[in-house]
Amino acid sequence: MNHAVQAQAESGPAARALGAAALGLTCATVLAVLSSRRQPRLQPLPLPTEPEARAAGQLYLSAAMLAASVLSDSALEHYRGGFENPGMVAPLASATLALGAAVRAARRPARPASPLPFGAACAVGAAGLGFHVYNVLRRPGGLSWANLFYAAPLGAPAALSLAGLFGLAARKVGRGAPTLARMPRGRALGLLAAAGLVGTSLEAALLHFRGAYHNPAMWLPVALPPVGAALLAANTAGPPTAPSRLARAWLAATAWLGAAGVALHARGIARQMGGWRNWSQNLLSGPPLPAPPSFSALALAGRAALALHARDGRRREAV
Amino acid sequence: MKTRYPGYDVLAKWNSPSFDDTTRHVLAQRLDKVPPRRFLDPAEWELLEAVNRRLLPQPERAEPIPITPWIDAMLHDNVGEGFRHPDMPPLREAWRTGLAALADEARLRHGQSFAALDVEVQDALLRALAANDVRSPQWQVLHAERFFTQMLLKTAAGIYYAHPWAWNEIGFGGPASPRGYVRLGFDRRDPWEAREVR
Repeated sequence: MNHAVQAQAESGPAARALGAAALGLTCATVLAVLSSRRQPRLQPLPLPTEPEARAAGQLYLSAAMLAASVLSDSALEHYRGGFENPGMVAPLASATLALGAAVRAARRPARPASPLPFGAACAVGAAGLGFHVYNVLRRPGGLSWANLFYAAPLGAPAALSLAGLFGLAARKVGRGAPTLARMPRGRALGLLAAAGLVGTSLEAALLHFRGAYHNPAMWLPVALPPVGAALLAANTAGPPTAPSRLARAWLAATAWLGAAGVALHARGIARQMGGWRNWSQNLLSGPPLPAPPSFSALALAGRAALALHARDGRRREAV
Repeated sequence: MKTRYPGYDVLAKWNSPSFDDTTRHVLAQRLDKVPPRRFLDPAEWELLEAVNRRLLPQPERAEPIPITPWIDAMLHDNVGEGFRHPDMPPLREAWRTGLAALADEARLRHGQSFAALDVEVQDALLRALAANDVRSPQWQVLHAERFFTQMLLKTAAGIYYAHPWAWNEIGFGGPASPRGYVRLGFDRRDPWEAREVR
């Protein structure tokens, strides 16, 4: 890696102040959520049988997986960056909060959950995108391929926003809301998950290109998810129908791809000099272990969207 | 000794992922297997030892990093850097000729052996060599400045900075294999790197 690319590692004072402000707001949110009066303990409800509740549970699970992926990925990469900007702690706090909230809510999806953790995740993700754009632009060469490869990844903060959006959507779906963002909920979630899959696939394409596609399996996350996204979008954009079996199967394959990706990335780390014994270097310089599960989370959300879309149809027929 | 890396000991990496068997073997040789005199005669050894003491004085070390024994080993094995300077005889002959010329230069100028001179006089003589300001006719077959820079100085520095104690002094981490470096930006430091105090 050449030094010009790595130059100007420190952010400016304004960026640090902004980062500190972002961290402060995030911590304030965490405190607000933690100190809010706990709901009285209810008798455990039976497992949700209602399709809405099941879809909401899947969406919470998807939000939890995305938050877990962001938490481990940003912890690793921001530790590598020495947390030089206080704002680099914000996604850790926000993702932890969203992960906890989503896991709790996934167990009883019909019960009302606080929107604060998920709203904060959306906001921190959006702010993160701004900081990552700044990180790329302040390096010598600005918006160049080398900086897109080696500077802060532009796509990564979006995963936190997606976790927040799926959490917020799960709340509404769990309460039986028929629409999201003025769209039938199946369509809204289908398009959101499809966009997320395409974006994540683009990031994999960029970083696997950096890795010269040295293993043919590196083409899989570039090839499979966009097809799943297209099937999902085609299925949910049209009039409500029974979910296409092809779309469901393709999304299931995409979900397994996320798990296989972790295994392949673990193998990639083992193949670096020193292997797993040299984990302190290779966990940072090898392929990112926490990245692939994003595909699983988005595919899961996509399958929930397909189910809701079919349900939207039945509802309309009933009316 | 006082360095910019207080408390740093590269040998603390001995059993860490930074070192492998090859590194451990090579360093054990450098630390414990200092070779005996086999190639140079006692007078040449004494002269070279005196020169190395002026090129790399080590007043702060209780036990100096050995340099002369490794030059002797290099000449004994007749294994150089893998190339020959076009204006110089082969490795062994170049060193023998150069040392003899330096001994002759000291005797011509001061009537004593180099090792017996005061350190200031030794330094002045070495500076004269570096400026190619020499009187002995023996330098006709070997360029004095080239011998000083290419052989005496570079070899001594190379051997000195190959020793782990010198690595501690300059904060060097040893080979970047098996464990290399991740944080490559300015003023960035991996946890397994020396910490500089400024």
